[in-house]
Amino acid sequence: MRRVFFREAVCRAVRETLDADPTAIVMGQDVGAFGGSYKEFSGLYERFGPARVRDTPVAEAAMVGLGVGAAAAGLRPLVSITYMDFVLLALDPLVNYAAKARFKTGGQIRVPLVVKLTAGAKGQGVAHSQSFESWLMSVPGLRVVAPSNVADAYGLMRSALQADGPVVYVDHKRLFPTSGPLDDSPHEVPFGMAAVSRPGSHATIVAHSYMVSVALAAAGLLSATGIDCEVIDLRSLAPLDLATVCASVSKTGALLTLEEGQLVCGIGAEIACRVQARLGPVRVSRLGAVAAPISSNPVLEAASLPDAARVAEAVRSLLRTTDISPPPRG
Amino acid sequence: MTASNDIGALATMMLARALESALVARADCGFQLLSSGQEAVAVGLAAALLPHDQLLCSGRAIAPALARGLDPGAVMAELIGRVAGPCLGRGGRGHLSQPSAGFFGAHAVVAGNLSIAAGVALALQARGDGSIAVCLFGDGACGAGAVHETMNIAALWRLPLLLVCDNNLYSVSTPRSAALAPRQLSDLAAPFGIKACTVDGMDVRAVRAAAVALTDHVRTGGGPAFLECISRRFESHSTSARESRATTELAADRALDPIKRLENALHAEGALSAQTAEALHEQVRAKVAAACAFAEASPLPVPDQAFADVG
Amino acid sequence: MLYKLVLPGPIDDLSEVRVLEWHGSPDTEFNPGDLMVELDTHKAVVEMRASSKTVLRRILIAAGEWQQVGAPLAILSDSADESLPERAEQLAQSSVTYEMV
Repeated sequence: MRRVFFREAVCRAVRETLDADPTAIVMGQDVGAFGGSYKEFSGLYERFGPARVRDTPVAEAAMVGLGVGAAAAGLRPLVSITYMDFVLLALDPLVNYAAKARFKTGGQIRVPLVVKLTAGAKGQGVAHSQSFESWLMSVPGLRVVAPSNVADAYGLMRSALQADGPVVYVDHKRLFPTSGPLDDSPHEVPFGMAAVSRPGSHATIVAHSYMVSVALAAAGLLSATGIDCEVIDLRSLAPLDLATVCASVSKTGALLTLEEGQLVCGIGAEIACRVQARLGPVRVSRLGAVAAPISSNPVLEAASLPDAARVAEAVRSLLRTTDISPPPRG
Repeated sequence: MTASNDIGALATMMLARALESALVARADCGFQLLSSGQEAVAVGLAAALLPHDQLLCSGRAIAPALARGLDPGAVMAELIGRVAGPCLGRGGRGHLSQPSAGFFGAHAVVAGNLSIAAGVALALQARGDGSIAVCLFGDGACGAGAVHETMNIAALWRLPLLLVCDNNLYSVSTPRSAALAPRQLSDLAAPFGIKACTVDGMDVRAVRAAAVALTDHVRTGGGPAFLECISRRFESHSTSARESRATTELAADRALDPIKRLENALHAEGALSAQTAEALHEQVRAKVAAACAFAEASPLPVPDQAFADVG
Repeated sequence: MLYKLVLPGPIDDLSEVRVLEWHGSPDTEFNPGDLMVELDTHKAVVEMRASSKTVLRRILIAAGEWQQVGAPLAILSDSADESLPERAEQLAQSSVTYEMV
């Protein structure tokens, strides 16, 4: 067990895969000698050379298309797009080809591709701040994972690089300054398994990626006033671990979904609906970005996004709701 | 160029035309993108490919699939959604695929297969056995950024990729002249230093000669190449699209029939007797009948197959 | 006079840094501009250089170990013969933060 930066956890998972699997390659802007925008590929170019760690032109559609084709024909590419916003340029190969190839060819073609995207707002404005995970999790055939901490960044990347189909791996700008413990032995975090980040009894907050730390901060604020929140870190959005969420909500009877993306057709809407389909009516509230672009202006950016104080207020408000019957227990 | 190659080419073009005729006559034909008129491009191109090469194409895939050697019965089964198709009837129209036969296959998003083909070329380059990827696409794709992005990376990385534009002069109803600025579409390759040429796509011998030269260039490490074939389609864009051309234009197009052209040339050269020609026609009729019987004997998928091979 | 060597913050969203390498050992004297220590952050290697003549007296965070931004990495003094308190909390009380330029 040693303490590492977030980028080092990502890098270690990629390095171990490239060491073990001669078909694994990395492609993207600035992934070569520069080592990645967040140094998350630092040292890979020197270790594996330009044929396996490839700088690409600024052409997201072609980068992902090449990754898809290469994966379909026997390689295991990781394509890195620094800003999640720019995956919009590459949705055709990802959605129309990669996600459907196995199905449409009757299982003849598989696309073991990882597309790594960095989501979230951190002062970079309307086209460099967005979180589109909910759009991607609605595409059959795509798996979408989003770590919130160092250990999961490593374990989910290991799993992504062993998957037999396309995986979208979403990290977050505000996670790169973080550090945390990481086991020295190689290991994976399987897809479709949420984690209880903080046990609690009064309300469940479901979040992923950077918003987990916001949820934990809010839980800290609330515990000072006697409200005990359980925080669930989804980790994997597709597949979604509804069982862990439902187990928590049947215990607490109150659910706040928290995301940095938009609420309309968002992750919270999906979870709220599916939890109630399974448990019956429960107290539910959703929190996400306001329905507006995210400015680079620090005042406006902060006004757009959930923070610990807003999360805490949303939980207090949720717990004041009384016009609903308690959920079934167990 | 030997006569047996020419006769093989003639037989394959006839097979594609006849299989499509049988297909459109069926009540369950549904939406299809026909190759009729453009057989020489697919057949001339396929003649230059080796078994381990991979051919990718647009949704107009029937002649390319047959030219690459896919079983006509399996192709027919796929086109009418039967489980004996190589994609178990799931890909069907516009998405025929059989990589084990060197036919990575169709993808019915205009320009959607170009960067995929470059990725396949990257994987083949890494394998290092001299095989190449070939992408066949329509003139409509040339207005899309994918062509330019793909040529840039393919040239930069010297990928073993042959791009073949089957220019049938129309994007559905829009004439090529109203959609694309370049004088010739092969001119698009010049800024990237990509070897390119334009040939008569109604002349299977011309297509084959150009394809052989360009595949040699690609195969020997020369980097990507671009072949433009000027062709005519004999039917509307798809079986569900209205015909936009005037009757006179369509008649003039059909007069350029690549099958009749090769047949006439072979007759004139004394390489095809009336007897051999009749035998060819009879073989094709028998193959199509067998293909239809094979496809009809195969069931439609059970509804559970809607969820198979997704996750 | 005793000083605490501290990486001034806040830096970005960074809460912790890792000591990469000390360029001296206890009693090493540094002149203005001399490299004292290199720190690993999430983005870059940060060099801390002496801003005035000073002596490294005690390394609190060894190479490879982590420290919070704003917390002390080492104790410095004006001269090598100033006495050092034995216990860490006394050190913290009896020293001031070394001014970085």
